[in-house]
Amino acid sequence: MDKLFDRRIVFVGGKGGVGKTTTAGALALMAAESGRRTLIVSTDPAHSLGDIFDTRIGNEETSLGPNLAGLEIDPEAEAEQHIATVKMSMKSLVAPKMYREVDRQLDLARHAPGTMEAALLERMADLMAEARERFDLLIFDTAPAGHTIRLLSLPEVLGAWSDGMLGHRDRSRKLGNLLKVFGRDHAREDAFGMIGGSKEEPDDSRDGRIQSILLNRRRKFHRARELLTDPTITAFLLVINPERLPILESKKTLDLLKKFNIPVTGMIVNRLLPSDVDGEFLRERRLQEDQYRAEIEQTFARLQKVYLHLLPHDVHGVETLREIGLHIVGQLGDSSGDASRPIEA
Amino acid sequence: MKWAGIKKKLRWLAYLATEAYNAPYRGAVARAKREQDDLFMLLIFSEMMGVPNPATYYTLELQPIMLEKFHEWHKRAGMEHSPLDDFRCC
Repeated sequence: MDKLFDRRIVFVGGKGGVGKTTTAGALALMAAESGRRTLIVSTDPAHSLGDIFDTRIGNEETSLGPNLAGLEIDPEAEAEQHIATVKMSMKSLVAPKMYREVDRQLDLARHAPGTMEAALLERMADLMAEARERFDLLIFDTAPAGHTIRLLSLPEVLGAWSDGMLGHRDRSRKLGNLLKVFGRDHAREDAFGMIGGSKEEPDDSRDGRIQSILLNRRRKFHRARELLTDPTITAFLLVINPERLPILESKKTLDLLKKFNIPVTGMIVNRLLPSDVDGEFLRERRLQEDQYRAEIEQTFARLQKVYLHLLPHDVHGVETLREIGLHIVGQLGDSSGDASRPIEA
Repeated sequence: MKWAGIKKKLRWLAYLATEAYNAPYRGAVARAKREQDDLFMLLIFSEMMGVPNPATYYTLELQPIMLEKFHEWHKRAGMEHSPLDDFRCC
């Protein structure tokens, strides 16, 4: 367990409703109580982190107890801010009568597909890069799997994109330099009294600005990608229920994570029925559960697993979270701490 | 006096010869650079032309810088006004 908490970043993912937030919350509480300054971040657009801790958490880091802070990223607010910045710089370049046009166009951009994800990713990348100074451990309570996979693959896609754009700028600059070799000698033209009117406007400052924006982007994406794919820094925990659909989806998730080289460390099998259930209905469910459990054992044989039973009451407040957290920590401790081994399916 | 006149004429001839050699290359290189720049600009504005772009959020911050270039481009492409309904620069 110590090994899990010695990472800098832990992602908790899985299908919707399997218990990601509960697991992430319990882990965060355990980490905080072991003395690590912990930040738990919810990236699900429909936040429930605050509900579990019974506190209002917003788009700002909120204290949830000793060593523990929570944050619910609001991608809409992030995107709003980003677009406001662009608006400002665009308005400094166009005539005032164009302001309405600028507003209209950029407001449309805010609703473009991908804007929210990009804004969310931006905030996550910033956190991963700079929260190190304030926190020992970052726990991300992610949105349902498909969304998260896309999010985690963005640094790669966008890294490639900024590489490509910089390549274009590079070729353009080389051609520009070549142009200078063949260039007109304005001094001499003036000496001969020729028309020197078609002097090119200086492109250098524009090029410089474009270059620095793109380079900044690339640095950020590549840094995020480096952190995500380093198994000594990042761990990904998959939460699953002993049911058909979560098993199927987890298989796909695992394949995708593998494709993007994101190390999956362990699996939390949540909501198992207790062994002493009574009644015909529950007994039948338990028989079915045994089958699925066997399937999980087989399919995800190489992942370290933690089993959690269905509780007789809702998860609500720190006490219940601690109870769950102790269960997880106990089971991880039993299995000779091989959580540090990067495991693939 | 006379020498100065001849020297000036010779310099003039040398300049003409250099230009006669350089001008076609300059034209070709300038064209290549412009094509490269146009491509870059179209990538920045691609979303507006209906080409899906994975990085719209990030091209957005480059658009203000490219505004002027965009204007030059549509002039050069023979369109007096911006061809994009929701993006007018003039």
